Amino acid sequence: MNEPLRPVYLEEKLEEIRSDGHLAYRSKSLPTWCPGCGYFSVSEGVTKALKELHIPTKDVVVVSGIGCASRFPFFLEAYGFHTLHGRTLPVATGVKVANDALTVVAVGGDGDGFAIGGGHISHAARRNVDMTYILMDNGIYGLTKGQTSPTSALGFKTSTTPYENRDQPLRPLMMLLSYGASWVAQAYAGHQHHLKDLIAQAITHKGFSYLHVLSPCVTFDKTNMTYANLDLQVRDLPEDHDSGDLMAALTAANAPTPALGLFYREERPTLTEAMDEVMRAAGGEPRGGLARSA
Amino acid sequence: MDSTDLQIIICGSAGDGTIAAGDILKRAMARAGYKVIAFDLYPAEIRGFGKCVARVRVTTEQVYSLKRRSDVLVSLDDSHAIEHVGEVRDFGAVIFENAPIARLREGRHMSAHVKPGQVPYGLAQREVCERATSSSRSRNIVVLGFLARMYGLPVAAFHEIIADKFKTKAPVVGESNIRAFDAGFEAATAYFKLDDVTLGPPSHVAEGADTVMMTGNGAVVQGCLDAGIGSFFGYPITPATTIMERLAVEMPKAGARLLQTEDEISAIAATIGAGYAGSRAATATSGPGLALMVEMLGLGVMAEVPCVIFVSQRGGPSTGMPTKTEQSDLNLAVFGGAGDAQRIVLAPTNVEGCYRCAGKAFELAEKFQTPVVILLDLYLSNRYETVIFSKDNIFEPNCSKAVEKQDPGQAYQRFQLTDDFVSPRAVPGDVGGMHTVTGLEHNELGRPSDSGEMHTRMSAKRHRKLEGALAHGDLNICKRFGDEGPVDVGILAWGSTFGESLEAMMAAQAEGIRCSAMKVVMLSPLPVDLIAGFLADCKEVLVPELNYEGQLANLVSGQLGRPLSRLNRVTGAPMQVEEILEQVRALAKGRAAA
Ligand SMILES: Cc1ncc(C[n+]2csc(CCOP(=O)(O)OP(=O)(O)O)c2C)c(N)n1
Ligand code: SF4
Ligand SMILES: [Mg+2]
Repeated sequence: MNEPLRPVYLEEKLEEIRSDGHLAYRSKSLPTWCPGCGYFSVSEGVTKALKELHIPTKDVVVVSGIGCASRFPFFLEAYGFHTLHGRTLPVATGVKVANDALTVVAVGGDGDGFAIGGGHISHAARRNVDMTYILMDNGIYGLTKGQTSPTSALGFKTSTTPYENRDQPLRPLMMLLSYGASWVAQAYAGHQHHLKDLIAQAITHKGFSYLHVLSPCVTFDKTNMTYANLDLQVRDLPEDHDSGDLMAALTAANAPTPALGLFYREERPTLTEAMDEVMRAAGGEPRGGLARSA
Repeated sequence: MDSTDLQIIICGSAGDGTIAAGDILKRAMARAGYKVIAFDLYPAEIRGFGKCVARVRVTTEQVYSLKRRSDVLVSLDDSHAIEHVGEVRDFGAVIFENAPIARLREGRHMSAHVKPGQVPYGLAQREVCERATSSSRSRNIVVLGFLARMYGLPVAAFHEIIADKFKTKAPVVGESNIRAFDAGFEAATAYFKLDDVTLGPPSHVAEGADTVMMTGNGAVVQGCLDAGIGSFFGYPITPATTIMERLAVEMPKAGARLLQTEDEISAIAATIGAGYAGSRAATATSGPGLALMVEMLGLGVMAEVPCVIFVSQRGGPSTGMPTKTEQSDLNLAVFGGAGDAQRIVLAPTNVEGCYRCAGKAFELAEKFQTPVVILLDLYLSNRYETVIFSKDNIFEPNCSKAVEKQDPGQAYQRFQLTDDFVSPRAVPGDVGGMHTVTGLEHNELGRPSDSGEMHTRMSAKRHRKLEGALAHGDLNICKRFGDEGPVDVGILAWGSTFGESLEAMMAAQAEGIRCSAMKVVMLSPLPVDLIAGFLADCKEVLVPELNYEGQLANLVSGQLGRPLSRLNRVTGAPMQVEEILEQVRALAKGRAAA
């Protein structure tokens, strides 16, 4: 992820972008995020990953909740569902159950995922719904203009914690690991290429893949999860990290500074595969694709 | 004696086999070709010695509710049955255990409570059973044999149903129950019939149709399957749970998918996700679950996503009375949620209606791209009726407005404004139909927009497209029965209460009162013109409902500004025909006096 420094020529760069093909995955609406917001990297990463994987836009459904992060589907050329605050995962589950031939990507913020929607994560994970969940963690509520979130650090001053946040922040990676997510990784919006690679891996994974993206909110956080701070804190998972070892993953997730990379991966039947098994047990015939009764 | 109208109550404690006996009785009578309506009362507790009551009405003509007065009471436990003696009509029969039971306190034996005019039959239930089967467990079956002999019930049908019921157990169990039945039959030969209860020959069943007996929830399941349901998401709650339980058995056989979610919010969220993806999707719940669902229901309205929500009402508010019936979620179903969020709400009035509304709900949801709520209640969900199904599937498999060929480069407009306000709909997987739907107000492309003009046009679109639902084929959204033209009293009713209303109307007509009754099946959008036409014919209007506030009366008077008389009961039990009749009489008299 440490790219060699070389000059960037504007013409060359524009040509590269035009010929690359990933623009086909970008919608005609320009993102409404603040310049510098980490979410640009994520949206760039998703478009590039989809292009790399040659997934047709017509087969992609991006489901989001409410928040700055959840504006995501509007900026992508695909099917999209901008749902309700916190309900990203159950809606995405419904989409996948209805048609298991679709590539489902769920996206949202830390408030959307861990505050109002916190009850759904464990179930999507344990059921191993075959989808990718990209959670963009900025440690704050961006859309509502800067309130504390369940991942805000202790001591963080926000508009609703003017005397500093005193609530212990959640530990998302440890939660997801113990919930039974079958693929868990962490990326940083400041490391774009690594982020894109992990998104591609997450989409390729068969089962519930959880990608936690540290993503600064440049407008409402000037002190805590800033690029300057994160650039100093993040590090790669050790070379010899065994992503098949759940305990090692938990230990790595428990470290005081955030590590980037794939923490854990396991193969097990997905929700719709399990439903196919149920159909066989009942004497029915799994058909795949759009769900309907024969 | 051609027409039959026989109602039997069986009453006992949990563990006496009360409900099982009622079940065999109604199935045997249905098999023999009679029409049956049945409704059981269980104790709220899961175990214990609570009271169980099975009521079975057997007729040859179509009827619409249970009778208040039964013809026969069978007691399997006098301590519970004594309360019900008053329900037996004059010259009706009371059948009870005649062996002296030492543990009973004085005055707790049925023999002391049978009213003058009623005919008591003391039967040694235990002893007869023990002699036939060397156990007293099948007392409930002994009394069925007794009934069969006394009233000429079809023995062969009983034998079949009993064998059927125990076929999963060891063969001896079935055999011993048949012996118990025959012993009861034999025992009855020693009795002299003094009551005037009779049974005529069964009704004729039309060719090309199937008569089956099922509950309202069973009919909902059948409707879902016949309409080609693709996915179902639910969270257990009485009295809706049996819908999910039955679907869990049937859907996988048909290759369809069902998931028990973590709560009702996710149940409806997944239903909407599945509806968006193009599958016929449904969920089922009761009032407390619907309360959790209304935010998502609003999203379904805003994003124009087809989905079906079955709601079986119980006593409320809050956790309320889970095992008691009520009709108090009309407001929530019609109005629940933020903003102007009109949706389609249907309330069937009988078991056949549950089937039709369930299947039609998928058509309506797809055609008008909106959530459809089907309002049931515990009484309707759980009661049994014989239903005649046509052999052909009556439901349309696809009602979606397809996207016509587009010019290349032209962006697909998911929310295109059209003449009928319904936009052509693409679903994920369709080439060239990519779009994003949102709960934010949006323009025709689906992009967020909060311009006043756009919000005005889109609000009109979402409301006016539903006008088409009032004309949807093969569905009575509203129907008048009884006298035509001007009447003294009109009864306006919805849901399960309509059955009692219709019976009350017929009774009033028999007393010479000019009376008609209208059922309102579509509660949203409300068929205002049809209702107004009916009300214009009525000197007096009575609206009987199982809720405290008069929710239908409020809905109708809110739109029509017409004074209505209300009859509201929140006892947790179905409305009584006599209660309605009394009001009808009073209203008719008030008029006559004026
Ligand atoms: C039911 C409901 N409650 C509250 C809100 C207001 N709201 C919108 S977004 C949001 C928080 C967003 O924070 P996060 O999920 O972290 O996303 P971010 O904006 O930081 O990307 C809140 C509270 C809402 N839309 N719906
Ligand atoms: S407010 Fe923060 S999170 Fe929202 S777009 Fe701006 S920088 Fe990003
Ligand atoms: Mg946030």
